[in-house]
Formats: sequence, structure tokens, C-alpha cells
Amino acid sequence: MRSPGNQWAGSFAVVLLGAAVSTSATAGGTPETKARLPGTTWQSIAHLPDWSGVWELDWRAGAGRGAMGMPKLTPDYQARFDKYRADQKEGKNQQTQTANCDPPGMPQIMTQPYPVEFLFTPGKVTVAIEAYSQMRRIFVDGRPHQEDPDPTYQGDSIGHWEGDTLVVDSVGFIPDSLIMPGIGHSDQMSIEERIRRVSPDTLEIQRTIKDPKVLTEPWTVTLTYKRHTDWDIKEYICAQNNRDSADPEGRADMNLKR
Amino acid sequence: MNLATRTIRSLTAGVLALVLTAGIASAHHSTAMFDMQHTVTVSGTVTQFDWTNPHTFIWMDVLNPASGATEHWSVEGMSPNYLSRNGWSRHTLKPGDKIDMQVHLLKDGRKGGFCATVTLPDGKTLRNLPGPPPKS
Repeated sequence: MRSPGNQWAGSFAVVLLGAAVSTSATAGGTPETKARLPGTTWQSIAHLPDWSGVWELDWRAGAGRGAMGMPKLTPDYQARFDKYRADQKEGKNQQTQTANCDPPGMPQIMTQPYPVEFLFTPGKVTVAIEAYSQMRRIFVDGRPHQEDPDPTYQGDSIGHWEGDTLVVDSVGFIPDSLIMPGIGHSDQMSIEERIRRVSPDTLEIQRTIKDPKVLTEPWTVTLTYKRHTDWDIKEYICAQNNRDSADPEGRADMNLKR
Repeated sequence: MNLATRTIRSLTAGVLALVLTAGIASAHHSTAMFDMQHTVTVSGTVTQFDWTNPHTFIWMDVLNPASGATEHWSVEGMSPNYLSRNGWSRHTLKPGDKIDMQVHLLKDGRKGGFCATVTLPDGKTLRNLPGPPPKS
């Protein structure tokens, strides 16, 4: 039945299969590697810590802007920040892009006054964020970062489990997002998060931001979240009835027209 | 102060409350356009209640006793997401309800502001911004 031509086609298929396997080693880990990594199969997810419920940033536990302190800025970015503060005194820069319903992106999307939820599926931790109805996808299947990721609001997030701690590294952010109001970032920003539950109803994220063009040293803050087992993530569509959009100078305004 | 109603100036209680308020209320936009240091009581009749994101809006008619004219006020509040977890619902206010509202006024003098508390027709006071329990 089999002609020499078909045999050749069969060999070609094997070569193609080999190529597919080697490609997946960079895109998502080999099947063997994936099976060994925590959180990559439904069976292993059962052994992960219980992060069910939704988690609200605990403003009283030092998440407020003042309590987080200030990162140490390079002279260039310190000068930009000083100008930002000076302009504020003249009525500019009262608003950021969120006033126009543009989501803040990382890192500020994780410090909103609305809860977040962690969803475990094989190879991935998804963070459902109520504010601006955002979603973060953290791949825990052993893949490396994309070589040249398109800049995105949440960045390219790669994670792995160290015991009960989820360690996440994120890179590749849109240029306009802010470390905090008045402080932008460069294309070299990276954000590391070490996320763990420190008590039954308390989750802690130790967050370290690095950006050699903006920060003279890594900036680490600890964010505390409290669990609400009786809450669900709600819809939040900012464009529904936004009467507070900002002008290009970030001036405050409120539309009172019916 | 050219205000349509009886007015009460009061300092917002405590530095912590102010910090919490600034942090939580400023998620979507800055509170710089409001006088967050003081509240003024505005009494009127609800004409519309927008139970919407990113902010709720209470529209009301307020009688100016000096001129006898009815003024139209628009007062912004926290989001449905926040308020529904803090004792409010979309049925909390309806057109025709006579309410007293503590408002952080717009600094530009227009008839609007940010809602701090609302006292309902039944006398119950609901807090809009976070802080210590309101006195009824």
C-alpha cells in the first residue's frame, strides 16, 4: 500500500512533530516539565494554597499613598516629578488617565479600592480585577518571557510557585502607565511580586519595582489584602457614566449637564 | 457663602479619615475639585438617582429661600460597587424623596459636589464616603 512517496511524507511528519515539540519547549515548557511544575495540572492545583474568595486591599495596613513612601528617583525623573508637583500647585495634573477611563495598568491596577480574585487553571493564574473590569494572566507553565512582548497595560507575566508563595515577574508595559502619580517608567521596568497568604484571611504581596532609568534602587512595598468570602467581583464599566474626564493638562472638571 | 439651604461647616473627622477618603475616593479621579476639608448640608428633593459607574449621581431640586428660586444640584457619590457593599442599593433614593445631604462642595462654585452622607426621609443616615459611623 505504502509508496516510497508516502514513506517520505511520513518521515516529514515526524520531523514536523519534532519541530512542534521543540517550539513548545520555549512557548510553554515540554510536557514533562509542565507536569512537574505546581499548578500545571488539575491534580497539582488541588495542592496549592486556598486563595478562594475575593481580596480587598487593606488601606489601614499601609497601602495608602503616604504609607507606601516614595521610591528613590534618578535625577532626571526627580526633576520630572518636581515639575509635576509644581504644576499641581497651578491647578494642572489634578487627574491621571484614569479620569478618562483609561485603566491604570500595572502596578497601580493592583492598588485600587476594589477587590481582586485569583483563579487557578492548569498552567495559569488569572487575576480578575474589579476596577475597570481588568484581567491579568500569569503563566506558571514554565515558559520564559516573550522575547519582544508588545507593550501592554498588565505586562507579560511569568510566575512560578515556591512552596505556598507565587512569585511573578512582569515586563513589557505601555509607556504611559505610572509607577505612581507623577512618576512614569521606562521600557526597562520590571515588577516582581511575591504573593502569599499570611493568615486565613490575609494575603500579602511583596512588590519590588526595578527600573534603572527611573529608580536608583529597587523599590519594595508590602501590600496587604483582606479576604471577603461573601463578596463577588462586580462589573465596573468606567465609560457607563463618566462625568469627570480630564483635559490634556490633567485639570479637574465635572460635567453637570443632564 | 451663597448657599440655598441651611449650612453647616464641619471639619472632616480626623487625619486618618481624610487619608482613607483621599485614597479610596481618588481611585478613578482626583478629589482636588472638591473642598474635602469641609462639608455643607444641602436639603432638597431627589429628581434622579444614577446608579452607575464610575460614580453614582444624585440630582436634586433645592429651594433657595432667599430668592424663592429652585436650583438644580448634581452630587457625585461612590460607585455602585462600593456602595452596595456599604448599605446602599439602586432603590435607596427615588424621585420625590426629600433628603438632607452632607456635601463636599465643588470649589468652582457650581451647584454640585461629592456626597459625604445622605439622611433619608425616614431619618436614617447613610454614609457615602468611608469613615466613622455617621451620627443620625
